[in-house]
Amino acid sequence: MSVEVRVPTILRSHTGGQKVVSGSGDTLAELFENLDAAHTGLKARIVTDEGHLHRFVNVYVNDEDVRFIGGLEAKLSDGDSVTILPAVAGGM
Amino acid sequence: MTRFADITATLGDTPLVGLPRLSPSPEVRLWAKLEGANPTGSVKDRVAAKMIEAAEDEGRLTEGSTILEPTSGNTGIAVAMLARRKGYRLVCVMPENTSAERRQLLTAFGAEIVFSPAAGGSNAAVAKARQMAAERPDWVMLNQYANPANEAAHYEGTGPELLRDLPGITHFVAGLGTTATLMGVGRYLTERVRDVQIVAAEPRYGELVYGLRNLDEGFVPELYDEKVLTRRLSVGTEDALARTREVLAAEGLFVGLSTGAVLHAGLALAREAERAGRAADIALLVADGGWKYLSTGAYSAGLDAAVDTLDGQVWA
Repeated sequence: MSVEVRVPTILRSHTGGQKVVSGSGDTLAELFENLDAAHTGLKARIVTDEGHLHRFVNVYVNDEDVRFIGGLEAKLSDGDSVTILPAVAGGM
Repeated sequence: MTRFADITATLGDTPLVGLPRLSPSPEVRLWAKLEGANPTGSVKDRVAAKMIEAAEDEGRLTEGSTILEPTSGNTGIAVAMLARRKGYRLVCVMPENTSAERRQLLTAFGAEIVFSPAAGGSNAAVAKARQMAAERPDWVMLNQYANPANEAAHYEGTGPELLRDLPGITHFVAGLGTTATLMGVGRYLTERVRDVQIVAAEPRYGELVYGLRNLDEGFVPELYDEKVLTRRLSVGTEDALARTREVLAAEGLFVGLSTGAVLHAGLALAREAERAGRAADIALLVADGGWKYLSTGAYSAGLDAAVDTLDGQVWA
């Protein structure tokens, strides 16, 4: 199985500048574990030592914010698209 | 009664209109709450009035005061109109990558504009405003991201209006910016309507807007409480633009781009309800009309060209 992962500019130092990388895992936690093998340090930027998503990082599976679908335990399927974005102020 | 003492009295009680051509069936219906009908043309008129009233009650604002506020446009325009009527000076901090109309309207209503860099979008505007506020402690920052009056405007106004006009409401969808619309309406409806779904449509801008120097510069509004939301959906520039055009073509509704994002999420919810055989009355918040986005080519250029233009902007 393979999942496409979109990486924001600010984290591309871990992916050799690549905007999109692929990885695998049945859950988001497994995916980040898998990604970290090829892209050292990426996981630590997204997941805290306590095992939660970093407060200023948002992760989406097929455009759904994962905090509402199980967080790091969110299930993944082959062909899913994962997007990582920094939390920024919106329109106001 | 359609006679009013002055323009500020026309605030609120905005129309809720059906979208029968975009609704999948008579049982699954989409409704649009037209906030462009407010005095300066956006939902932010509610917020500006409430925040200024609160600051006056607290004695923070008195005649001749200077208000400082970061804005991507709508809040600034709404505050500017009231500020001029009441004799306050307004200084807005706005990202330089916002539409020309927003700048022109702010100027027309008498606001002074200080630009923040395009990279970092609204984050950079907030940071710059905070820095200016520290240098000028006598200026009054309304701070819409943290101001409880922002949420109260929706808890006391938008929410009750929606429930009055759509007692069978099953879903409420709005854009996510300061988060106050979703927090205020969300809390009001959740307390009164069993199983109502509160869904955020979050604009996903081009990369420039996420151009932070480090992740610790990230920003989550103080008003945001994740527990109020049922779901949070991310909508990219192209989908938002395509839906903005779709609702114009199908329903004759001329709306701003954040509504395209809201509609995209609303249509996904409608399809899910339809597939599950459930009836649904889905209310969409239309934050503003399309007027302020004409210069971006959103309604006239080819789709790809318009997406390119909008992608580097804070379009919602």
